[in-house]
Amino acid sequence: MYGFHGRLLHIDLNSAKSSWHELEESRLRAFLGGIGLGTSLLYDYAPPGVDPFSPANPLIFTSAPLVGTGLTTTAKFAVVTKSPLTGFIADSLSSSFFALELKRVGLDALVITGRASSMVYIFIHNHNVEIREAEQLRGRSPSEAESLIRSELDSPAGRVAAIGKAGENRVLFATISNEGRHAGRGGVGAVMGSKNLKAIALCGDQESRTADPKGVEAIAESLRQRSLGSLTDKYRNIGTVANLAVFNRLGSLPTRNFQQPTFDHAEAVSGETLTENNFSRRHGCASCTIRCERLFKSLTGEEQRLEYETLFALGPLCGIKDPEVVLQAARLCDLYGLDTISTGGTLAWAMECSERGLLPGAQELGLRFGQPDALLAAIPAIARREGIGAVLAGGSRRAALETGGETLYWAMHVKGLELPGYEPRSLKTMALGLAVSPRGACHNRSGAYEFDFSGEVDRLRADSGRGALVAASEDFAAVLDSLIVCKFLRKCFTDFYSESAELLSKVTGWSCSSTDLRRIGERIHTLKKLFNVREGWQPEDDWLPERLLAEALPTGVAQGVSLTSAELQGMIQSYYQARGWDEKGFIPEKKLWELGLPIMQNENCKM
Amino acid sequence: MGAEQSIADATAVILAGGKSSRMGRPKALLLFDNEPLIVHIARALTRLFAETVVVAAPGQELPPLQATLVRDEVPHQGPVGGIYYGLRAAKRNFCFVTSCDTAFLNLSLISYLLSQISDCDVVVPYWQERFQPLHAVYRKSVLPLVKEQLDRGELRPIFLYEKVRTRKIDEDEIRHFDPQGLSFLNMNTPEDYESALKRWQEVRQRRETETAPAPLSVPVSISVSVELFGVARLLAKTSAVSLSLPRGATLSNVLSALAEKLPVLVGRVISPDKSSLFSGYACNINGLDFVRNGSAQVHPGDKIFILSADAGG
Repeated sequence: MYGFHGRLLHIDLNSAKSSWHELEESRLRAFLGGIGLGTSLLYDYAPPGVDPFSPANPLIFTSAPLVGTGLTTTAKFAVVTKSPLTGFIADSLSSSFFALELKRVGLDALVITGRASSMVYIFIHNHNVEIREAEQLRGRSPSEAESLIRSELDSPAGRVAAIGKAGENRVLFATISNEGRHAGRGGVGAVMGSKNLKAIALCGDQESRTADPKGVEAIAESLRQRSLGSLTDKYRNIGTVANLAVFNRLGSLPTRNFQQPTFDHAEAVSGETLTENNFSRRHGCASCTIRCERLFKSLTGEEQRLEYETLFALGPLCGIKDPEVVLQAARLCDLYGLDTISTGGTLAWAMECSERGLLPGAQELGLRFGQPDALLAAIPAIARREGIGAVLAGGSRRAALETGGETLYWAMHVKGLELPGYEPRSLKTMALGLAVSPRGACHNRSGAYEFDFSGEVDRLRADSGRGALVAASEDFAAVLDSLIVCKFLRKCFTDFYSESAELLSKVTGWSCSSTDLRRIGERIHTLKKLFNVREGWQPEDDWLPERLLAEALPTGVAQGVSLTSAELQGMIQSYYQARGWDEKGFIPEKKLWELGLPIMQNENCKM
Repeated sequence: MGAEQSIADATAVILAGGKSSRMGRPKALLLFDNEPLIVHIARALTRLFAETVVVAAPGQELPPLQATLVRDEVPHQGPVGGIYYGLRAAKRNFCFVTSCDTAFLNLSLISYLLSQISDCDVVVPYWQERFQPLHAVYRKSVLPLVKEQLDRGELRPIFLYEKVRTRKIDEDEIRHFDPQGLSFLNMNTPEDYESALKRWQEVRQRRETETAPAPLSVPVSISVSVELFGVARLLAKTSAVSLSLPRGATLSNVLSALAEKLPVLVGRVISPDKSSLFSGYACNINGLDFVRNGSAQVHPGDKIFILSADAGG
């Protein structure tokens, strides 16, 4: 088999046994790798209705056909499981050398079930699987665990992904981290912690072959060249932090828990200001020519990675105007292994509670918008589940449900996942994308904001054309996430589907057309939704936080702009229609047949 | 095509290389309203045109001007020579050609002339039974014909008017904008100069006492600000600049003016033609409209954002 190894490794931590299984080519053709393959395996391996922290909930790592081909930006892997934060699918991506090593141990998918009796790490060395003691690593940060384990390995080429204290303590938005990067959203690190699994170490030398190496290299070279042009200038020369000043000016920067779409101190924490004052160096994932990562130096001289989402969530969303504080907060999140968006979103919720005289624990800690000390104290408290941290470790939805009363009104999440830094009221296509996304409020599984930022639509108005746009954006993301190609390369394709189909054909030897790829994208996305339906999805889960539907934007160029329930409902209907789903958002049997998906014999699927 | 569109695509050409033999000193440097006459005229024209070309004689000294300076390759070939070199240097499709001694330019009349060019090659006023070739609009495409004419030694512009689509602007039309025809008043002798200065004083006094706008006070230029984000801001080392542009200016005009002001952006953010952005960049006007079409008009007070075309993060 070209492009894949055709093998799945299943490790059961209950019995400390592992087994290798053949991966059917039909499954790979239908779902590719990455998120697609992970979703397909989740559907089959997770018992319906499984508790996310049950040993039976599978934690799935997948590789992809383009990994290891030398194609720029493709050193990526996916982590898929049932999310403890949302109760639906969690599908996260991370990247760099761990991704290359995952493929080099000779597998396409690693499925971990069970729970070890004490803290362990898994070491996979080609076909050998060892489960090693890791109690000595308890409490260590992911990067400490990574370097300690690497020093234990026989080979210096070994790569490690690990959880921090937040994952060990099952904080519902804990991450899995490798080389400073994170599989960040949806709490995949908490699931790993629930299995008493501190880390996974990999070392391999299994080459995967491509069907047409020269053809692949020609396309790879062309994309390498294109990746260095104007289309990636932002990523190469300032990084994603550039979004902050622009979004602020466009009235799209969520501030003080979405109370405003502009931040009075945006300039102080802008990417441009950080670049001028704190820039330390540029960094990139393995096999990447774009190298978008920026490391910034704080006053103490420590280097810290910073992306827009982290900057927004720990800065304006919490009213923080000092870049030093944002850098320190980001560093704490990395040390404990916390998703920065959910951390910022949950803390912003707590700050608003505290300012309104609710949530005594938050008041005691002094959590208020713009208060640096309380913010920096709250992050370790969440990771340790201490004091108010124990409440906040459940994320904004659970914390609000526990606290009750009006606090649910300002819990800014969809399906339990905190909103990213794109203000839905002034980005109407994105509003729909966030509402209907299977993994909750997510800017990566649908890039619907692209339409709002392109001039193709009026970003301030809702209309019935958005459903088709969001569906197309989701399918596009599903293909990118399953090949896997980084989204920062997406604009470098002249015709993404035909060029990718050609590339996939040359890698795998299959005959794959652009129509096939589009169908695969739709199939993958639909299966995510099907999984959610099986796990109890109801129409009201596709909705936005009430604040967004009740308050008009009070500041900025979009001042006075609102989003009504009727507008959102209209867009959601247009989306279900574009998807060929029924008006409540369930998937008709006909559509499942059409996509070759399992027909669910389940009463949850109200068709 | 309306005046605003043709203005946006027009260059002002000032012919400064005449002999000034009867005046006895260079006309371009005569002091007028406390500044050299050519500065006075060029400044008036920048209120309407984004680009100005000055055609001077070889070696002729001129004060600093906000204009592209070109020289006659063969000196003193008369107006046809000047028109030829001016048209050749102009980057836009239409040229309003005048001389350096027309102190009483009327921008409303010039706008009107430009509005008439759409179906013709030349728009020329006819005042007191004479064509006014140095107060006329020429389509750049007549350049080869002008060259042929020059080669043949036909130094009178009127020969051109017979060969191309020429729109003659009659006195009645002119009087609507300029009742006394001051636009065509030029200065050939010291007496003309003295009388022009006197008339200028009258015009100024009238402007101060009358509510009606004087010819040069027609509000024809607009001011916009450009805000830079991301890589553009880092390159330019500034977050905003303000630009003065002719009324009716387009987004392309904004980019050209921005390229002049911040040359560091050319080749990175602004494409080498200086009228469009590289594909990695986008433009938003007033935070509301993402605009990709370079011919989109900008309006007084507009805030134009230059940002990355990719909002991913």
